[in-house]
Amino acid sequence: MSTADTIMNCEEYREAIGADPSFDGGAGHVAECAECRAYRSEMLALEQRIGRALAIEVPQLVMPELPEIAADNVVTLGPARRVARPAWFALAATVALAAVLGVRMLTGGIEYDSLADEVLAHVDHEPYAMRVTDRPVSDERLAEVVASDVARLDHRGGLITYVQTCVINGHEVPHLVIQGERGPVMILLMPDEMIEQAVPLSDETSRGVILPVGNGSIAIIGGREERLERIEKSVLDSVTWST
Amino acid sequence: MHESNAESQRRQRFDRIVAVFHQDMYRYAAWLSRDKAIAEDVVQEALLRAWKSLDALRDDEAAKPWLLTIVRRENARYFERRRLETVDIDNLTASQAALLAEQPDEQLDDMRAAIYALDDDYREPLVLQVLIGLSTKEIAEQLGLKQGAVLTRLHRARAKLKEIMDSEAVT
Repeated sequence: MSTADTIMNCEEYREAIGADPSFDGGAGHVAECAECRAYRSEMLALEQRIGRALAIEVPQLVMPELPEIAADNVVTLGPARRVARPAWFALAATVALAAVLGVRMLTGGIEYDSLADEVLAHVDHEPYAMRVTDRPVSDERLAEVVASDVARLDHRGGLITYVQTCVINGHEVPHLVIQGERGPVMILLMPDEMIEQAVPLSDETSRGVILPVGNGSIAIIGGREERLERIEKSVLDSVTWST
Repeated sequence: MHESNAESQRRQRFDRIVAVFHQDMYRYAAWLSRDKAIAEDVVQEALLRAWKSLDALRDDEAAKPWLLTIVRRENARYFERRRLETVDIDNLTASQAALLAEQPDEQLDDMRAAIYALDDDYREPLVLQVLIGLSTKEIAEQLGLKQGAVLTRLHRARAKLKEIMDSEAVT
């Protein structure tokens, strides 16, 4: 019997079983409490009914018509997989115009109307990055992704819980996630994406902004409830382009 | 015109992932939207978005939470576009009612109605745990919540269902 078992009371045990009927702790308490044994049996029976009720019949899969992905941009899977650079790499300089005027952009074989659209879509690309956690990435990992010849970054921007190199508009850029007040916030450091003015971002689930910073820009996107203004300031204070 | 090898590999990878997780996608969408017809639309949109974003999925082991997140966001987009009213359980459309009366089984119908009537905040983690098989940690990541909040919601969801089922057993 563990120490935790001996100190568990009825309320704690029922909460644990209610949250997960497969909970197998609290053996010491259950051995001594007939009411909680009965409660556990009831919850297991209830669980079976819930499972059967939820398991509705699924119609046959009808695959939608899938658009062609440009062959040059299809990524071949392999151990040393990298995202292919599109041939229109040189167009990057026109990003500011594209962001504002809605010029169609191609990246990774997918067409986007603007930098803003591509940045917003990127939230969907790595949804597992957008998680609530208090576990920071290591300094080594941070340094690996945010190379010192790209930008210098300190921790004033907030707790950094995810870093990855991603491709936005043909450029490899650091993708960070920091923990905001209301949940995770995605940051894209884009030293090559020069824009003339801030571009607001918004869709049904997220809101944010692309801010001009020197010769580049930084995208900051959080949930619709997130208070981004403070984060914008601290991120801007924490990033310095190296070039 | 021949598909390149890379294109063909990409399509095969997509088909393989969808074959494994299509059922989870549909059931999750159905219980999120509480409407079978909407669930089919949401899944179609989610498949399209997943196809376009496939190259961003670096590890197929992460395909399930990736697809479920896309379904969740597509469902939110659908409701935002349509600005649907809150579902009134006493005044359901045919496709909403279809979710509740799948098989002629009175006990299951009662349970489905009880789950259907749960607040979204309680129904969604329950579906992810019981139906999709996610751990509470994975649910917390999926919903952007702390694990403690997920445990509380799951406990309250079951307590509510138990209360309803117990009261129906008495009446």
